[in-house]
This record gives sequence, structure tokens and C-alpha cells, in this order.
Amino acid sequence: MSARVISRDRISGFLDCILRKYPLVAPVEEDGVVAYRRVAAAREVALDAGLSDVPPKTHFFPQTEVLFHYSNLSGLEIVEPAGAPETVLFGVRPCDLRGFAALDPVFGGRFKDVYYRDKREKTTVVGLSCTSVLPTCFCRAYGSSPVDGTGADLMFTRLGERYLVEVRTPKGARLVEDCADFFTEDGVREAAREKEVLARELDGRFVRRVDLDSVKEKVDGMFESPYWGKLAQRCLGCGICTFLCPTCHCFDIVDEDRGDRTGCRLRCWDSCMFTDFTLHTSGHNPRATKTERVRNRFLHKLKYHLDRYGLAGCVGCGRCVAKCPVNIDITRVIAEIKEVD
Amino acid sequence: MKQAVEELRRQAAGLLKEERVKCVIGWTQGTDVARAVPFFATSVRQAARLTWTPFCVNNLSKYLLNHRYDNTPLAVVVKGCDSRGINRLVQDRQFVRERVVVLGLPCGGMLDREKVLRVVDPGAALQEVEDRGSEYMLRTDKGEYGFEKREALLSKCLECEHNIPVVSDLMIGPQVPSPAGSGIDRFAGVRELETRDPAVRSTFWDRHFARCLRCYACRNVCPACNCKECSFEQAVPGWQQGACWLSKRNHPGQNYLFHLIRMFHVAGRCIDCGECARVCPVNIPLRELYRKVMKDAEELFAMKTPGTDPEEVPLLSTYRTDDPEEFS
Repeated sequence: MSARVISRDRISGFLDCILRKYPLVAPVEEDGVVAYRRVAAAREVALDAGLSDVPPKTHFFPQTEVLFHYSNLSGLEIVEPAGAPETVLFGVRPCDLRGFAALDPVFGGRFKDVYYRDKREKTTVVGLSCTSVLPTCFCRAYGSSPVDGTGADLMFTRLGERYLVEVRTPKGARLVEDCADFFTEDGVREAAREKEVLARELDGRFVRRVDLDSVKEKVDGMFESPYWGKLAQRCLGCGICTFLCPTCHCFDIVDEDRGDRTGCRLRCWDSCMFTDFTLHTSGHNPRATKTERVRNRFLHKLKYHLDRYGLAGCVGCGRCVAKCPVNIDITRVIAEIKEVD
Repeated sequence: MKQAVEELRRQAAGLLKEERVKCVIGWTQGTDVARAVPFFATSVRQAARLTWTPFCVNNLSKYLLNHRYDNTPLAVVVKGCDSRGINRLVQDRQFVRERVVVLGLPCGGMLDREKVLRVVDPGAALQEVEDRGSEYMLRTDKGEYGFEKREALLSKCLECEHNIPVVSDLMIGPQVPSPAGSGIDRFAGVRELETRDPAVRSTFWDRHFARCLRCYACRNVCPACNCKECSFEQAVPGWQQGACWLSKRNHPGQNYLFHLIRMFHVAGRCIDCGECARVCPVNIPLRELYRKVMKDAEELFAMKTPGTDPEEVPLLSTYRTDDPEEFS
């Protein structure tokens, strides 16, 4: 793996260089909320905003995606949207990189999802190490770390007034070549050592101790446990936890018909917390109450994803912990599961 | 607040022991120092876990709806603002007043957890809270911290209208002074928005609504939103009903529609507990939106904040021949 160094004052030049060649999606702050959006200039990018409120899965799996427009005025006509352009997604934190890894087999496994895969294949992902650890962070419990570049094409790590840039894939190498003027190979070795120091320092800053040992074995036998009912009592059934989750990927396909034989078919995020989730046409819903829905969410995070793909369904980003209006805290759930009879 | 906590636990334990109620809906300590969490005590032992701190921000009246179709006798703990929710749910015939024992807590205001966590280690254990009138003193295992109310309360608390519950069967703990600042204009935020140029105002709401995730947390936390099935769960394909007028699509126009429908729907029913704005994960200033309607209702029809009076007739259920007709 080769590496470069870029000085902090050249970052915006680098981002503008990207923009001359590719659409750029990066963290943007608006009214105190950080989310990933397409930007028109480097100055829009919230470089030091820390963990975003809304995860960057929105880039590969937007909340609403038009599948096709149709018209049946003179014979059925279907117009599909054009494919995605080559794009750069900048500033993805290590937990969210893991999130992509958890989504990949869902959309690229037995059933190939062209919409996700098209964007995934044409996007160069630039990771960005964390420089702080939030009280809700627990990526460590999943074997990741605030500086883990796994899954990135290029990994940036801020070290004072410069960044170490690790080139992890050919896509990453191409982006460095495209904007070669901004990088230097001088000081790479020192920077790599500094990154190790930073990694150790950040590792000591986690306040949440989450131990997943034996949790999978335990939840394997907990489908009928009364624990879920107790947990679900205070759940409001909103979509915050699932919509802000970097690994949640349920969607619902709907038609918007204009009433004049034209319209479009789209898919929208769905949430297992919603009352109409998996509601059958017959009116039957296999997850009829909050208890089944809350159970579904936690079993998905702690069991189903592991069963299906051998990958954890949670990456420890802590967004659901931070934003749940009623303090349903997955780290507490993990601890409580161990105590359940 | 120690005295109130002890009395709360004692009263809750009594209600459960005498089997007057099956469940006491209250709060217990949450997973960090600045959080309390809705808690459903069903035994005397569990009643001992109830708490009352300046982090008991959740409006628990909403949870009565979990039991609207059964006959479980319940007790619910309310602050002043939340208590308006009890009156509203009863007025909306969602709940029979006799089935619920309302435990009222005089409230000195809720602390803004973000502000507290800037100072206090989230992992600290909260041991005791003292309400000293103009400040809260938090005692934790990692030290004592004072918070000046003027600086650290939630903004809704500085505009508090009823710090003593407007309805209760049992009042718990001592009376405490209202945290409202003197001479505060409750509608200052709305007035400020009203003075803006319509185009600027439109851009303001466009920006906020475009960010909406349609997670429906605002709706689900709201005691005014008590429809059995929300119209936003009736979003069906257009070919089933002529045309699709409500869509699941996350799109500025559709999001606008959602928020405006909700705004009209909570007219005369929003109790201004501020929970919508608290839970919104993308900081949409929802409270200002609903308070615009509340302010209009007050100015045009002399309506009090909904839920203030158990006998009041809701805004949209009254008609008087001398109602102002400012559009005529």
C-alpha cells in the first residue's frame, strides 16, 4: 500500500481538483445537521464536522430512488433513469465504511441490485479517520477503529496540519494521479508513525465498553423471549434508528400515478419500526405489534445479518444511541441480553 | 428533588400494591447521566426505580394511547406541559379520565442535555439533584455541578406556561417556582419569522423541510397525533384512488405537504410540549410551525393553549356567529 501526504491548506485545492473532473459528494453542515450531499465547491465541505448525523449510505442507497417513469397514453412507454456518473464520495468515517461492507452483499449477492451496484462501482470512496471519539461510539467492539481504512479507496488521516493519505486500491491510485500536484511523498513514514500514535490515543478514549462475547449464541435462542415486549413498551415506532443506521437497507416500492396514465415507480426507505412494514395485501402483518418490530430490528443487527452474510449488522457508529427519543440504547440491549434467563 | 422522588416512589408503590393500577408510567435513569427514560413500573419493586430529574423530558401522556383499546387501569406521571396532553386525550375521547391516576409533578424546568454534557462526563452516575430556584445542583460520583437555569434550561422551559400540572389526582413533591423568565414573549420566535419577507420565509421552510427524513418521530411522539391510522400510512398507488396525492417519496414538495398537513391537523390540539422539536433528528424547528397556528388561534379566537382546561371546547369544534372573518 503506497501513501502520500497532503498539507491541510491544500485540501480545498484537492477537492476543487476533483470537482473539475467528477461530481463530488461530501459532508455538508446545514442548521447543525451534517449529511452527505453533492457539492459545487470545496468551501461547502464540512471537513472537521466529525461523525455525520445522516450516514453516507444515502449516496448508494438514496431515501427515494426513481426506478422508471411510465406513460400509457399511446402504448406503454418506460423511461429508465440514466446510469450514475463516475463520482467521488469524500470524507467517509471508518464505521460508515464498514456500513458499506455490510450493504454490499445485500445488494450485490444472489440478487444483483443494478441501482446500488452501478453507483458503488462508479464511486471512488475517500475515507477520513476520526480525530475524536464520541461518548456514543463503539466501533471498537466490532473490531474496527477510528482510523481503520478498510473499505476505502483512499484513506485520509488528519495529523495536525497535514494528512496521511493511504492509497488502498487502483481507484484510489487513479484519484491521486488525477490530482497529483497536491500530494507529496515526503514525510510519509513519519506520518504513518504518527497515525499509529493517534490510533493508540483514540483507542483509549472509548467510554462505552461493549462486549459481544456470547451475544450471538444467546440471541439465537431468544425469538420468543418476553424481553422484546418489555423493550418495545417505550418505543415510539418512529424511523430514526433505522433511517440513521448505516446498515439498514429495507425499502418499499411504490407507484406515483398522476391519474392520467402517466407516473413513476420509485423505491423509498422503509423501516421495520413502522406499522405498515411487511403489511400484506390481505391485511395480515407477521410483525403485528411493536414487540415483533423491535425484535426484528435487534435480531437483524445481532443475528440475521451474521446468519446470512457472516457480517455484523451493526458497526458501532452510535447514531441510534444518540438520537433515539426514548433512549433505546443498543449497547444497553447487548448487555441486558446476556442477563436474560 | 430528593423529597419528590421519594414521594413519587412511595405513591407509585402504594397504587400498585393496592392494585388500584396495573402500571405506573414514569421515568427511570437512562443510559447516561443526562438522560431519563420512559419506564413502566408494574410492581412495588419496580416502583423503587422511578425517578424525577431535570432530564425527565419525555411527555408520557402519549403512552396512554398504548392502552386505549384495553381496560388496564393506569397511573401516569406528568409535568405541567405534559398534563395538557391528558386533557387533550380525554377531550378527543381517546381515554376515559377515570381510568388513569395522574401523578403531577411541579417542575422547575428541564435541562438541555447537550449543555450539561459539555461539562459533565456522560458516564458519571447521577446521585442527587437539588432545585435551588435559579439553578440546579447535580451531584454525581464524579463531582458536583451547578447549572444556572437561565443558561442551561431548554428554551421551551424558559417560556413555560404551566409549571404546575393543570390536571392531577395527586400532586407529588413541593411547589416550585416557574422557570419562565419574567416578561418573556412566548411567541417571540413566531413573531420574528412573521416579520420576514414571504420569500425569505418560504426559503427558510423549504430548506428545513427538504432535510426531513420522514421518520415520523414528530408525529409518533405527539399526543395530538392520535389517529388510529395516519393518512401518511394510507399512501397507496395512484391507480387505486385516481391519482397519488400523498407519496412516500422524500422530496421537498412531498415533505412540505406532510408538514403542512400535520400543522393543520394539530391546530387547536397541539399542547406545545415541544417534544416534536426535541426528537427531530435533523433539527427542523417544528415548534415554531405549530405555534404560529396557536398564536393565530389566540389572537383571532382567544383560544388558550390546548389542554389548559379540561372543559374547553377544542378550536375546530366551536363556531360562533361573531367569529372574525378576516378573509371576507
